[in-house]
Amino acid sequence: MLSGVGKYLRVFRGMAFVWLLSGAAVAHSQQGAQADRAATPQVEAQLVASVNAVVPGSEIYLGVNQKIIPHWHTYWINPGDSGNATTISWTLPEGASASDIIWPAPGRFSMGPITNYAYENSVTLLSKISVPSSIAVGDTFTARALVDWLVCAEECIPQQVELALSLPVVGNANETGEGSPLIAEAQAQVPVASPWEVTAQQSAIDPETAQGKLQLQVALSKDQQAQVQDIWFYPYDWGRIRQSDLQQRKNLTDVIQLEIPTGEAPAVIGDKLTGVLVIKEQQGIVRGYEINVPVQSLTSNQTAEGFAIGFASALLFALLGGVILNLMPCVFPVLSIKALSLVSHSNYSTVEIRRQGYVYTLGVLASFAVLALLLIVLKAGGNQIGWGFQFQSPIFVLLVAYLLFAVGLSLSGVFFIGGSVAGVGSSLTEKPGYSGSFFTGVLATVVATPCTAPFMAAALGYAVAQPPLKLLAIFLSLGLGLALPYLLLSCWPRLQRWLPRPGLWMERAKQLLAFPMYAAAIWLVWVLVQQAGVDAVIIALGGMLLIAIAAWLYDSTRTSTDGKRNLGNASVLALVLLAVGFGGVQVNLPANAAQKSAAADANWEAYSDERLQSLLAEGKPVFLNFTASWCISCLVNERVALSTDAVKKQFQQQGVVYLKGDWTNRDPQITAFLKKFNRSGVPLYVFYPAGQADSPKELPQILTPDLVVAAVSGQ
Amino acid sequence: MSFRQSAKVALASLAFALVSTQVVAEPVVDKAAPAFSGKAADGSTINLADLKGKTVVLEWTNHDCPYVVKHYDKSGNIPALQKEAAEQGVVWLQVISSAPGKQGNVDGATAISLNKKRGATPTNTILDPEGTIGKLYNAQTSPHFFIINPEGTLVYKGGVDSIKTANEADIPKAKPYVKEALEALAAGKKVPNPSTAPYGCSIKYAG
Repeated sequence: MLSGVGKYLRVFRGMAFVWLLSGAAVAHSQQGAQADRAATPQVEAQLVASVNAVVPGSEIYLGVNQKIIPHWHTYWINPGDSGNATTISWTLPEGASASDIIWPAPGRFSMGPITNYAYENSVTLLSKISVPSSIAVGDTFTARALVDWLVCAEECIPQQVELALSLPVVGNANETGEGSPLIAEAQAQVPVASPWEVTAQQSAIDPETAQGKLQLQVALSKDQQAQVQDIWFYPYDWGRIRQSDLQQRKNLTDVIQLEIPTGEAPAVIGDKLTGVLVIKEQQGIVRGYEINVPVQSLTSNQTAEGFAIGFASALLFALLGGVILNLMPCVFPVLSIKALSLVSHSNYSTVEIRRQGYVYTLGVLASFAVLALLLIVLKAGGNQIGWGFQFQSPIFVLLVAYLLFAVGLSLSGVFFIGGSVAGVGSSLTEKPGYSGSFFTGVLATVVATPCTAPFMAAALGYAVAQPPLKLLAIFLSLGLGLALPYLLLSCWPRLQRWLPRPGLWMERAKQLLAFPMYAAAIWLVWVLVQQAGVDAVIIALGGMLLIAIAAWLYDSTRTSTDGKRNLGNASVLALVLLAVGFGGVQVNLPANAAQKSAAADANWEAYSDERLQSLLAEGKPVFLNFTASWCISCLVNERVALSTDAVKKQFQQQGVVYLKGDWTNRDPQITAFLKKFNRSGVPLYVFYPAGQADSPKELPQILTPDLVVAAVSGQ
Repeated sequence: MSFRQSAKVALASLAFALVSTQVVAEPVVDKAAPAFSGKAADGSTINLADLKGKTVVLEWTNHDCPYVVKHYDKSGNIPALQKEAAEQGVVWLQVISSAPGKQGNVDGATAISLNKKRGATPTNTILDPEGTIGKLYNAQTSPHFFIINPEGTLVYKGGVDSIKTANEADIPKAKPYVKEALEALAAGKKVPNPSTAPYGCSIKYAG
């Protein structure tokens, strides 16, 4: 029996080899044929499109579908231990272009110690094609794809086919037709952005064994964790992990952690780790999530000894780092001015100056304590955050940009507050007293934060991973470092003697120091654009214009009579509020998009049987979404499909009433409804076309925008 | 330190040493190459320890794999490398880890005649049907290369070159990692790319 199989295999292998040798000839014969299909003994390939006809200037998807015989597979972009990714070389009409392959989430196949990332049965590799606007209606759009793949079971065979597809060019977007269902099927398998925060940490690579470990943390809630049957990380690059090793899963508080041994080309700390996280849920839904996160260093705090040393040196580093912060372009001007005020106030008593120094230090420490406490609270709330977390909020970035710009204007001499620049932080204090010093400390901290992120990531990364008290200690140490130079200067009059004598140069120096502030503001606007999109530029710069006008107005009415002065102050207040308010509202929009959908103007209503029956009786089209907070694919479908603009627009155009049923607590009404559709759980998506209460359409459990739009528009 | 304490420390370090040797088994560039001995196609036994003082190339192969065919039958690329290596006194060992009944598994006589037919002149061919040496080196593909310097240190592991296709037309365009490594060793220089991605068919291990 066994020998019989062996004989068969040998014969088959021989055939495969003969086929291989004649491979070139096969490819040539197909070049002449130019069909949309081609077959090898293992793979049937077909070129398919998202449309039946193209419109000039549009974007379409083309896909190469491979139907693979059982036990054989073709490879993903990173094939794993062996194998080779499929490649597609396009020949397109002039002016047209094709994207790289958009890869559906892969599977893993192990044979002995070798693991591959590959596809079995059927896969469609998508490319986005831009159709040139120059192509004439009535012409034909012909795409040719030269496809190379390696197909393997036990043995491997490289194969090549040429496929061609001709589509008529039409003028009207309504005439393009629905194309091949294989495209929609593939789109549902393409990884989507991860709705959960993902962090990656990697230990040092042991020089003896060349081994380390990579830790991926995915912020899934406890309920969601229970839904995860299988979770696996597939890196885009070879060697980042050991493909064949188990990815050890741990369910931690609101985080799933994967621990994976590093491979032969481990990620460099600070570089991006890219790949796909594939999650299989209990009810069988499989979905890929795009991972693109910087790799942080995994500090080992396993042993008590290592911990103590780590903590002591972290304190020292924080102190040194704080001192260095004084030299940062955004901090230096503020503190120089503070130091210069010592020069100009040489008439102050030594005691007075010393007290000013203490109060300033207190201001810095208080601000750092507030930041540390905020971090501790957020951490306790289960947030995965790092230093500079506040800069993840576009509105905060915008406000700091405004602040730096305002300080810059003040240094340039556009306006003075209370005659002392150092008082800017305490814009409310008329006299530069103790509160002035305190708020200079606060200001120094605020302007220092954008500088810390890039320079002190490692030390603060360590701090954030510590228990609350240690975290606080490290932050205070950092604050002390920041305050130290000025504190020393104010405590030792002897040092003050080293300061140059006051004079016109002070004014010049002040003006010069404005430029680093402007530069820092420019940098923050750039950061803002990364977060909130290109439109944020006009908001930020417009706001700065308002602030500049306000500053000018303030200064020009400062010395006027009381009435005019009050009017001036009122206008200043109005302008600044306008800048901040307008900016805040506009910039925060994208960040709050998710919340907005849940707000009063949401496009859905809560589900109830009565509501559904009355809508159906009215003959309205109804879209039902049954979801639960612990349901992973429900959440993802809402993000990537149901709350997209395309779907919302479609719902609106068709007058679709969107009902959402929350099954988080197993509502019995919904359970009964699910039963009608032979479902024991969510997600369930059902669409009732207008006037068809008896023939609801059930949608698949993995949604894409196109799929929902097509279902609702009746295509 | 009392005797008891010393004994404990000794035991602990012994346990640690055992664990670490187990981990070290995987070949690491710049570390000692794992020791092995194996049966060769000509009936002799090859012991890596006996080859100290010479540069050793280990080449996992499988004559039916299209990637091996690319570098042997279609281009003569690897046979040419073997010739150059032999001129410089390098010991070139093919290793066949295909299990019995699987693609590439051959007996000694066939291995020798296959090489003759392909104009290949490795120093010898190690037959490893149980996959012991293959798994020791974590060999994954045919071809997959490991180069050991005269001191017994692993200095290269990875692919034959940089373009991972089965198309022989790509050979002149690829960065020839193995050739580059051997040239660097001959010139007494450091191997420029000591660890690269191997490519080819998976090794047909048993089970």
